[in-house]
Amino acid sequence: MIDPALVSGLSALMFVIGLGGAFTRKNAIIVLMCIELMLNAANMQFAAAAVYHGDTTGWVYTIFAIAIAASEVAIGLAIFLAMYGQHDTISLDDVDVLKN
Amino acid sequence: MAGSVLNDIPTPEVSEFAPLIVLLPMVAFAVILFLGRVFNGNPTWKNTVKEGGIIALGVMGAVLVLSLLLIADFIGSVQAGHDSVFHWFTSGVWDGTSAGVSTDKFGFGIYVDHITVMLLFVAAFLCLLINIFSIGYMNTDPINDNRNHRFYAEFTLFCSGMLGMVLADSFLWLFIFWEIMGLCSYLLIGFYYERPSAAYAAKKAFLTTRIGDVFLMIGLVMMWDLFGSLDYVVVFDAANIEHVAEHSASTLQWALGLMFIGAVGKSAQFPLHVWLPDAMEGPTPVSALIHAATMVNAGLYLVARMFPFFGAEALHGDLADLAYIIAVVGGITAVMAAAIAFVQMDLKKVLAYSTMSQLAYIFTGLGCAMYLANTLDWHHNDKDHYIVIVAFGAALFHLFNHAMAKGMLFMASGSVIHEVHHAHHHLHHHDDHSDGHDDDHHDDHFDAQSMENMGGLASKMPITATAMLVGSASIMGLPLIGGFWSKEGIIANAWRVAQDDPKFLLPAMCVLIGAGMTGFYMSRMWLKTFAGKPNNEVAAHVGPTNTWIKTPLFILTFVSLSSIIFAGMGFTHWAPDEGYAFMSEKSLIDGIVYELGHAFANSDAYFFIITYIAIAMGAVLGPGLAMALYGGKLDEGETTQPWMKPVIGLNAWVKNRFNFDNSAFAESTLAVALQNRLYIDHYYDMAMLKIVAGFSTKAAEADSEVIDGTIKTIETGSQSLSAVVRSMTTGSARDYILMVAVGMLAIFMLVWGVA
Repeated sequence: MIDPALVSGLSALMFVIGLGGAFTRKNAIIVLMCIELMLNAANMQFAAAAVYHGDTTGWVYTIFAIAIAASEVAIGLAIFLAMYGQHDTISLDDVDVLKN
Repeated sequence: MAGSVLNDIPTPEVSEFAPLIVLLPMVAFAVILFLGRVFNGNPTWKNTVKEGGIIALGVMGAVLVLSLLLIADFIGSVQAGHDSVFHWFTSGVWDGTSAGVSTDKFGFGIYVDHITVMLLFVAAFLCLLINIFSIGYMNTDPINDNRNHRFYAEFTLFCSGMLGMVLADSFLWLFIFWEIMGLCSYLLIGFYYERPSAAYAAKKAFLTTRIGDVFLMIGLVMMWDLFGSLDYVVVFDAANIEHVAEHSASTLQWALGLMFIGAVGKSAQFPLHVWLPDAMEGPTPVSALIHAATMVNAGLYLVARMFPFFGAEALHGDLADLAYIIAVVGGITAVMAAAIAFVQMDLKKVLAYSTMSQLAYIFTGLGCAMYLANTLDWHHNDKDHYIVIVAFGAALFHLFNHAMAKGMLFMASGSVIHEVHHAHHHLHHHDDHSDGHDDDHHDDHFDAQSMENMGGLASKMPITATAMLVGSASIMGLPLIGGFWSKEGIIANAWRVAQDDPKFLLPAMCVLIGAGMTGFYMSRMWLKTFAGKPNNEVAAHVGPTNTWIKTPLFILTFVSLSSIIFAGMGFTHWAPDEGYAFMSEKSLIDGIVYELGHAFANSDAYFFIITYIAIAMGAVLGPGLAMALYGGKLDEGETTQPWMKPVIGLNAWVKNRFNFDNSAFAESTLAVALQNRLYIDHYYDMAMLKIVAGFSTKAAEADSEVIDGTIKTIETGSQSLSAVVRSMTTGSARDYILMVAVGMLAIFMLVWGVA
């Protein structure tokens, strides 16, 4: 069985990659993918903790998180569609209607 | 402290109707005002009821009868040795404690003593006479048509205020009625409110007296603080005064001093005198009643009311300073007003300044009486007791004589003005005669009040001229007539006090010099108006006056002439003291003989000399100088009554014999200053302007800088704060992600740190 510490380390690596991608990329779909990456990092963390503690609660949370992530992606993609309809772009740099 | 005393006093029958003296005119006020609204323009209302004049007359007649009954009852009870305080009603006041009704009573009662009786008679009697005069004066002038009801309504309200003030049993009610009079004075001075000068004069009178009233109110509050009550029975109670005197004699002196400032305002004394001459803008009956005979006496009444404090044994010597202030204010005003009267050309203004001057005499008299009462051991020493009573009586008697004479003089002057105005109107046939409003006294630049438009009227208006002669003689203190008996008393008492205390030499000199000055200006007024040749054709066409006007003049002439009888009846020692009443000591004849001897052959050489100096100044020097300057023989063919012939003859002889030129004086700086009323009004206006303008500038600054400034600071502050917040909302999703991340990190660190 894989050491939970390694899983936890992989999870941290994925989270940082996701966070860095969310900060730096300007394509909204990439940013959404990065956010999914961070969510999955969190899921892995739950799984690792569940194994480490021998407690199934972590697994339950992971299933919840996957369900939420699925609906979140649906909403996110719908927003990007509407955004494209309004602005003809899904580049985050070109959209700042909330400025000031 | 208050309360229980009130219930022990037996209530005689007379108290049952006494409040009617106040209530009747007050009801008449409302009735006349209402009926005037309804019936104006109705010929019966105008000609028979005289637009309310007859209603007022009926009420005043009833008031005089009731007053005389009350006075008779009082004199009877004094002679029977009773106390004489009546209470009409008193009601309990809920003080919020479980005990329920407190002992402090608040109600309206009638307080009758010697001072009340004197003022009550003067007020009721003159209100009636001046009401008769008003019907002859107001209703014959078309300018007043359809608004005389307002005059009579305010007139009756004033009478109610005056009588109420005199009868009131506490300083609080005195103050309330005092303010009612102030209101009526304001309304009646501004009767011709369409004239800017009248509106200005009304405002000036109201505001000037209000300054005094504020001090009066402070004084009353202080007195309430000291005594816990303002009822006369409580504050005049010897035990209560003793209690207050132990700890707070000087506070009491301050309270009385502040109340005196109120009296100064009401009685037009220096430095609050500026309103009285302007108050002559009102109709002449108003000048006669309010600004000469009654309301201006309110201040004197208030000071006279303080006598029990000055006379209290417990306060012996404590109030001497205030007595001196009263005497000095009187002395200064007496001389100053007389000097200004020298140069006035307006008939009514001469009388206004004369009023100020004579009221000042009474203040000096009261001040001296108060000083004597406060410093002499008059409770135990019979001789001192008599001195105090005579000093007080002289002041009160002068009030009586002055009210009678000055009421008469104003009515006579009104009669002259009325007839000069009519003569002018007759001569210059106005086209707009039917129009009513345009034939005003003033719009055609003819001043019916100026003595320039008079002269030689003695042959044309004999009754008026006689009344004016007797009134002037009374004010001047010509031996045996009217004011002589009281004025000599005031002068003698001032010098008596000056013997004890040299600082009283100032008021004493003032009243002595003032006597000569009075002689001059009153003679000048009479001679310029009635003697000599008519100054212009208007004066030559003046005719006799009507019966309504003549009647009160006739009555008051006799009252002034019979002053010696009043003196003999004991008016010269009419003071709030149980032992004194009408003819309580001597019979009438004995009293007259005593007064004559006392006046002309005083056994004390000091007073003998003072008396004759005063007579020489007031009856010889002053009138003599005036005779040399003004008047002269009547026109050829004009004759007058036998009693005025010698006066005019003497005048003509003196004028020819010592005709000297006074033009050098007339153009001097002093005369110009006097014509400008010594610039006091001017300086008051300047000071007011400085204070009011300065205050409003500061207020405007405070408004724009403090109030607006605060709001503006808040506004700019929130704006700059919002600029900071705005700069953070970049609209870029990436920045928001960063913020969320950093925020989450911060929360995580925080939770980590706490754990």
